[in-house]
Amino acid sequence: MRLARQLARRKLRTTLTVLGITVGIWALVLFGSMANKINGLVNGASLAYEGKVAVTDASNSTIGLGISPMRITVATEVGAVDGVSAAVPEIQMIYDPNAGNSFGIADTIQGRVAATDARPGETPLSAAEGRLLSARDEGSMVAVFGRTLADKTGARVGAPIEIRGSSFDVVGILEPTSTVPDYVAFVPLSAAQHIFAATLAAPIRAAIPQAELISQVMAYPASGVSVDELAERIEAGVTDVTTVTRADYDKQLGASVGLINSILVGVAVISVIVGGLSVINTMAMSVAERTREIGIKRAIGGSRGRIVRELVIESGVIGLAGGLIGVALGVGVVQLMNEAGRSTGNVLFSFTPLIAIFAVVFSTVLGMLAGMVPAWGASRLDPVQALRHE
Amino acid sequence: MALLEGCNLRKTYRISRSNTVEALRGVDLDIDAGEMVAIMGPSGSGKSTLMHVLGLLHAPDRNGGPAPELAFDGRPVIELGERERTRMRATQMGFVFQSYNLVPSLTALENVMLAGQYAGVPRGRARTDAVEALGWVGLEERRNHRPMEMSGGEQQRVAIARALVNRPKLLLGDEPTGNLDSTRTGEVLAMLRRFNREHGQTVLMVTHDADVGASCDRIIHMRDGRCERSVVNRQPAA
Repeated sequence: MRLARQLARRKLRTTLTVLGITVGIWALVLFGSMANKINGLVNGASLAYEGKVAVTDASNSTIGLGISPMRITVATEVGAVDGVSAAVPEIQMIYDPNAGNSFGIADTIQGRVAATDARPGETPLSAAEGRLLSARDEGSMVAVFGRTLADKTGARVGAPIEIRGSSFDVVGILEPTSTVPDYVAFVPLSAAQHIFAATLAAPIRAAIPQAELISQVMAYPASGVSVDELAERIEAGVTDVTTVTRADYDKQLGASVGLINSILVGVAVISVIVGGLSVINTMAMSVAERTREIGIKRAIGGSRGRIVRELVIESGVIGLAGGLIGVALGVGVVQLMNEAGRSTGNVLFSFTPLIAIFAVVFSTVLGMLAGMVPAWGASRLDPVQALRHE
Repeated sequence: MALLEGCNLRKTYRISRSNTVEALRGVDLDIDAGEMVAIMGPSGSGKSTLMHVLGLLHAPDRNGGPAPELAFDGRPVIELGERERTRMRATQMGFVFQSYNLVPSLTALENVMLAGQYAGVPRGRARTDAVEALGWVGLEERRNHRPMEMSGGEQQRVAIARALVNRPKLLLGDEPTGNLDSTRTGEVLAMLRRFNREHGQTVLMVTHDADVGASCDRIIHMRDGRCERSVVNRQPAA
C-alpha cells in the first residue's frame, strides 16, 4: 500500500518506466516464443533422422529432403550393405512448388509403401479423422494429411483434393505432432511415383521407368551397428549416393538455428536491458527528489541496508509490473498472430509457461538490479546533508 | 546522573580543498537525565553541529586537539561504527526538526510506525505503539491523514509522537518551534514539558527563541564553536 502510494506520487514517470520494461518483455516473449518454435521444428525434423540413414542421389543438395530421382534398385543395393536391417524406398517432394517461402518446415509429399518404416524411433502417427494408410493402398490415389497441411489446404476426409495436378481421395487426417508429420501429405509409393514422374524432364522419364522411381532410401541399422558406421559403409558400398544422419543434419542446421536463436533472444534481451536502464534513470531521479526523505529516515534510525531494501523493492515492483503487462501483451499478440497464420500454415510462435515465468522473473530481477545502483548511493548519503536538501 | 558527557568535542568541515570551518572548537558539556536543556547562540556558533554530534549523526574529530570523548548513558560512543550509531539513534534517541520532516507519502500513523520499525519493533506492535503515541499528542483522530493534509502544528505533534514512540532516553530538537506561531509554540513546549515532568524525558533542543530557552531548566550559550556559559533557570523535575 505504502509502496503503491510511493510509486503513484510520480504517476507519469512510473508509468513510462513500466512501459519501457513492458516493451522489452513483450519483445522477449515474442522472440522467445519464435525461437522456441524454431527449436521445436528443428528438433522435430532432427528427430526424424534418429536411428536411421537417409540415402539420396549424390547430386542431391537439399538437406533433409531427397528430391533427385534414383532407381528403386538403389534400395536393393543399400539393403545388401552389411549392417543394414532394412532399406525403405521413398519419394519426397515439395507439396506446392508455386507456394512462396513459408516459415518453418516445408510442406511435402511423402510416398512409401505404408508400414515399411515402422521401426523404433519413428514418430508414432495416429489418425484424428479417418484412417492411416496401409500396404493395400498401393495402386490407389489416396492421401493422409498432417494436421497443419490439412488446415492450410482445406483437406477433408472423404473429399477429393488435387495434389500437383492429380486428384487424391483424402482418407485420413493425423493427430497433431507439432513437428514434421504435421506438414506432410502421406501417399502410397505408387501414387508418389505417378506425380514425381510428371515433374521430371523427358530424358530422365525415359531413363527411369515410373515404377522404379524413388528419391530417397531410408536405411535402418542392424542391432549393434551404429548409424555413423552404417552411413560410412553405405557411401563406400553404393555408388553415386550420399547419406544424411541426424548428426549431419544437426551439424548443418544447428549452427544456423543457434545463430537465429541468438539474434532473436539477443534483440529481446537488449530491449529489456534498455527498459532496465530506464528503471535506473527513474530510480536515480526518485532518489534525487527524495534526498531529504532519505535523510529523515537515516536520521531517525533507518539503516543503510533498510534504505537499500526499500528502494530496491520499489524498483523490483516496477520491473514486476512491466514484466506482467509485457507477458500479457506478448501472449495476446502471439495468440492473435498464430490464429491469423494458422490458415496459411505460418504459425510463427510457440509460447510456453516457462517463457512467461522466465520473462517475469527476469524483469523483476532486472528492476531490482537497476534500482541497486541509485539505492546504494542513497544509503551512503550523509543524513545531515540530506536533511538540508531542498 | 549524566545521560550525556562530552569532552573536547571538535568538528571541522572542509568547505573546499583549502578552506575549512571549525564548527566546534572543544566543547565540554554534561546533560543530566531528566533535564530539559536549550542550546542557544548566534548563527554560526556551532549549536546545530553540536546537536548533530550529540545525536550521533556526525562524529567529532580531533583537529590537532586532545582526543574527544563522548559517553551516552555511561557508554563511550566515539568509536562506534556506523551500524551501531544508527541503531542507537533508532532505539535511544528521538529527533524533532524545525521543518517537521515527515515522509510526505506516509500517513501520520505510518510516519510514527516507521520509527518503531527502524528500532526493530514488529509491525503489529509498532502500529499499536504508534496509535498510543499519536494519542499522547492528541492526534489519534488524524492518524490516517498525510502531512500535506495537516497544519504545521499538527505535523510537529506527529513528529514529536514519532520521536517519542520508542520511549527514547534522549529527545533532540533542532529549532522544533522555529516554524510555529506563538500559540503553537506554546502548545509544543507544554507538550515537551509534560513528557519531561511525567516521564522524566530528557530534552535537548537548539533554539533562537529566548522564550523557548527560558522555559527550559538550563540554557547553554554557545559562541564561536565553544560553550560560553551555562545558565540554570530552574532545577529539573524530580
